Amino acid sequence: MAGTEGEAVVGEELQGVEGDGEEGGRAGLRLPLARVKRIMKADPALQLASQDAVFVIAKATELFVESLVEEAYQYTRKAGRKTVSRRDVDNSVEAIDALAFLDGALDWS
Amino acid sequence: MLVSRCPNSSSCAGNRTPLATLRRNTRLLWFVEARLQVAMSVPPDPVQDDELTIPRASMNKMIKELLPNVRVANEARELILNCCTEFIHLVSSEANEICNQQQKKTINAEHILASLDKLGFGDYRADAEAVLKDCKAMAAKKRRKSTRLENLGIPEEELLRQQQELFAKVTQLPTAGYKDS
Repeated sequence: MAGTEGEAVVGEELQGVEGDGEEGGRAGLRLPLARVKRIMKADPALQLASQDAVFVIAKATELFVESLVEEAYQYTRKAGRKTVSRRDVDNSVEAIDALAFLDGALDWS
Repeated sequence: MLVSRCPNSSSCAGNRTPLATLRRNTRLLWFVEARLQVAMSVPPDPVQDDELTIPRASMNKMIKELLPNVRVANEARELILNCCTEFIHLVSSEANEICNQQQKKTINAEHILASLDKLGFGDYRADAEAVLKDCKAMAAKKRRKSTRLENLGIPEEELLRQQQELFAKVTQLPTAGYKDS
């Protein structure tokens, strides 16, 4: 039914607009979908993304954080320290091929 | 007066009762009003777009769950936060490319998954797909639920009143730029 489809779109869109601080909530996502969407939209060349797409990126980002943190921790342990430092994260980035995209972006003060 | 698409409802193919038609019209009007509100609203922007990151609190929660008894320096957290933003841009860009190549107008979940594969994050696919299934199931449940709620019989007079109210509101909304159909 056309009406039902329309409602689904509105419902999802409104949920995206309201509560920027509201967490993904569904299926245990930690990141707020509205914020992820805003980050995506900061790229002017980007086309429209479906709600599902935002959802998948949010999940992938969480997995990314997991990988990065766990990798960094390996360096912390190797050095016998108890606090994960920025250096540990740097080293992880350098060690993993897929993270090469972060190389240029690491020089934030 | 009830608004019905057919002047004489019994001649409609669907044979809708006036009440059902009224409910549907009310729904449609809510839909229109909501869309117009969304289109006209300007969400407050506390942060400039180029400083946008995921919220620190969300990230701190994740780190806490991953390494419950380990300290993580603030600088390290800051770095990870910024890496996330870069990651989102990277994956979105790639997905945008894939979407363009397929000559589609909207980036969908499959485009994102494909871009993860392409960028060397293919091992995220399984988890992402699993969670996507959950999301779809929940959305479907919500839609079924909202249909059931509508049948809980808001009295006809109330629906009529709401319809009149919405009509009045819609005629008051700015129409500049909208073509007459």
